[in-house]
Amino acid sequence: MSDAAATNKRAQRQAQGRYGMIGKTLNELDDRLGIAKGGRTFMDKIFPDHWSFMLGEIALYSFVIIMVTGVFLTFYFIPSSALVTYHGSYLPLDGQKVTQAFSSTVNISFAVRGGLLMRQMHHWSCDIFVGAIVVHMARVFFTGAFRKPRELNWTIGLTLLILAIGNGFFGYSLPDDLVSGTGIRIAYSIMESIPFVGTYMAFFIFGGNFPGTSTIPRFFILHVLILPLVILGLLGAHLFLLVRQKHTQFPGRGRTEKNVVGSPMFPVFMAKTTGFLFIVSGITALLGAFAQVNPIWQFGPYDAARISYAVQPDWYMGFLDGALRIFPSWSFMAFGHTIPLEVTIPAVIFPGIIFNIAYLWPMLERKFTKDNEIHHLLDRPSDRPKRTAAGVTVLVMLSMLHIASSTDVIANFFHLSLNAVLWGMRILTVILPIVAYPLTYKLCKELQGVRGAGKRKTPNIVSRTAEGAYVATPTPAYGEDVGHELEATPVPAYIESEPEEPLESGVRTVDR
Amino acid sequence: MGVTSTLLRRVPLLLAAGLVASAPLLLFVGSANANNLNPPPTTRKNAGTPNSTIVVKNKAGVVIKYGNKYITYKAPSSKLDTLGRALFLENCASCHGTEADGVPANGTSGAYPDLVGLGPATIDFWIDSGRMPAKDLAAVEAPRRVPALTPAQAVAIAAWVNSLSASYPDIPTPHLKNANVAEGAALYALNCAACHTIEGDGDALAESTFSPSLRHIPAFQVVEAIRTGPANMPRFTGNLSDQQVSDITKYVTTEIEHPNNPGGLGLGGLGPVAEGFVGLLIGLGLLMLICYWIGDRS
Repeated sequence: MSDAAATNKRAQRQAQGRYGMIGKTLNELDDRLGIAKGGRTFMDKIFPDHWSFMLGEIALYSFVIIMVTGVFLTFYFIPSSALVTYHGSYLPLDGQKVTQAFSSTVNISFAVRGGLLMRQMHHWSCDIFVGAIVVHMARVFFTGAFRKPRELNWTIGLTLLILAIGNGFFGYSLPDDLVSGTGIRIAYSIMESIPFVGTYMAFFIFGGNFPGTSTIPRFFILHVLILPLVILGLLGAHLFLLVRQKHTQFPGRGRTEKNVVGSPMFPVFMAKTTGFLFIVSGITALLGAFAQVNPIWQFGPYDAARISYAVQPDWYMGFLDGALRIFPSWSFMAFGHTIPLEVTIPAVIFPGIIFNIAYLWPMLERKFTKDNEIHHLLDRPSDRPKRTAAGVTVLVMLSMLHIASSTDVIANFFHLSLNAVLWGMRILTVILPIVAYPLTYKLCKELQGVRGAGKRKTPNIVSRTAEGAYVATPTPAYGEDVGHELEATPVPAYIESEPEEPLESGVRTVDR
Repeated sequence: MGVTSTLLRRVPLLLAAGLVASAPLLLFVGSANANNLNPPPTTRKNAGTPNSTIVVKNKAGVVIKYGNKYITYKAPSSKLDTLGRALFLENCASCHGTEADGVPANGTSGAYPDLVGLGPATIDFWIDSGRMPAKDLAAVEAPRRVPALTPAQAVAIAAWVNSLSASYPDIPTPHLKNANVAEGAALYALNCAACHTIEGDGDALAESTFSPSLRHIPAFQVVEAIRTGPANMPRFTGNLSDQQVSDITKYVTTEIEHPNNPGGLGLGGLGPVAEGFVGLLIGLGLLMLICYWIGDRS
């Protein structure tokens, strides 16, 4: 390279300013759109580094995967109950009359390149999506992150969970296979069991009696357009509130109610979270490639006369199915109608109570603790024994109901009497939550009494005195575990005058 | 005075309002009546097949072979009677009695059932699938296991029991090259999946009874089970033709045995139960571990 060319390049670089090509482009954009101020706030958004704050991200990225794979599936799926004769590559179905929905789903699995992988990734990421919402919610609940000022975001999150479960059910129903058809039948009956308005509601939502031809098209438009839009909107609101109200954080290491300690959006968190997106999609892809999910070709098309044994819904509907299974068959005839308490109580009233308590919980807790303060520092679960015990109780109960949805599988797998398993689950569902509350409460109290719980243990130095006695001397606590103020990295007011970032630390403290 | 007394004063009003509101419900009283929908009783000896094109009789005029191009049923040779009686006395008579007419166990009749008139296919099925001679007499069910007697011995015992009172169905031989596997799949979903599950893995039924897995079962035993209805299984006679039975048999012995089943590990055919475990424990669990790995822990 000649000298003149090098000088030329240097001159170009100087003309572009300190931040090079990207900086120049951003400056141009700022001149026109005024993005610098908002962008600076966004890039300085602080994310606490604790691992439990990433659980919500699993849900977020699963949702992204669901959207991408779902769009692919809509290219090939035909949402129609019209009957066609199947002539495809799956031999046992050849010549059978099936709906277009079923036939197109089998074709996605057997004939479309990559179709089965996409279908399985879609299904697996949905299972992970709802699961991640639940563990994220558990983290928020047990650490008290829902307290003032974040009650609204708790409500939005809970609504997102219900919508995710609902949309999962709609999606599960779309292929119109034997197993999902059975699920729609049960959902129809649950709706019918609502007193007075049930039949009308079922007719309104399913477009007539069961089985009908309007169910699949309706569920399709709900599944791919309406519910995803609502979820997307609420997700936006959820994240907006998160940025607006800033993150909560665990106490300790210079963290106070007045600051947020963690890594800024750019560059630390952005790199970390993008990597995490790839990890989530990678694991979903591995599951989609190596673990079979919902092999509808084996189930065959739905037909009201057909039924398969050993049929369960997807896991997030399991607690409802379990409640239906273990509830005693209380139903009687009165006023010319069947009064199906065996369906109404476990499938309508019970989940209604559970979700309503969850919605009202922040309010209830404010009322009972008379704590109306704003909280940004999180609780250790053991410091709030009553809340923790209540949460564990509900989780234990739901888990028992979830296990109860597979009574037949358990009986078959362990070669037990089905009736014994059923009665066992009935008893456990009542007893275990009752045991769980005092047990958790006591455990929390005990943990509170442990000195230095949550801190790393330091070694004791045992020495022998001249008289022969042994003396244990504790060594001082680790520096990191002793509370101290962190040096906050100053956040500059203007981009142009930004000083160089300190290289040794990505940690920043900003005022609220 | 206060809230309580205000409420008390309003009790009659509330009661009246409740009565008026529930009055329309009275219109429905008494219009309910459950129908009695018991199935017609099944008889024991009507297990023959109505649509035979081949019928072979012996010199005495007894039908010893019948059927069509889908399934042929053949009575065991009467030459085996003596051997069969010896084997029966050795292996079966302690429970079923020396004349195969059953023994009431602990006062309950029917625990060791009367075998006379059951037909050779029934006897052959129970012995050849290893269920009989029973290993555990106290068990509710005799499960499938490695047969204690050889197929030839099973046929001999069937021959002797049949000689006491000739009955049907005889021992079947399905000709599966004429069967249609797609028809079989549809019929399987309609008639069999309710207990054996759609993937053929079997499951738990009420009170320690189980629908067995349909994998690794010889074709003739599938036909025998359908035609004779062992244990809790219903007996399918008039409602399934030989062609339909052979279709189902082909589906069971080909597609359930060797399913065309892409998509990775089958997760034991346990359906959404296993899927939930994998999705939550492996999928979500792994992701949470990675969170723990890349996140801060204090």
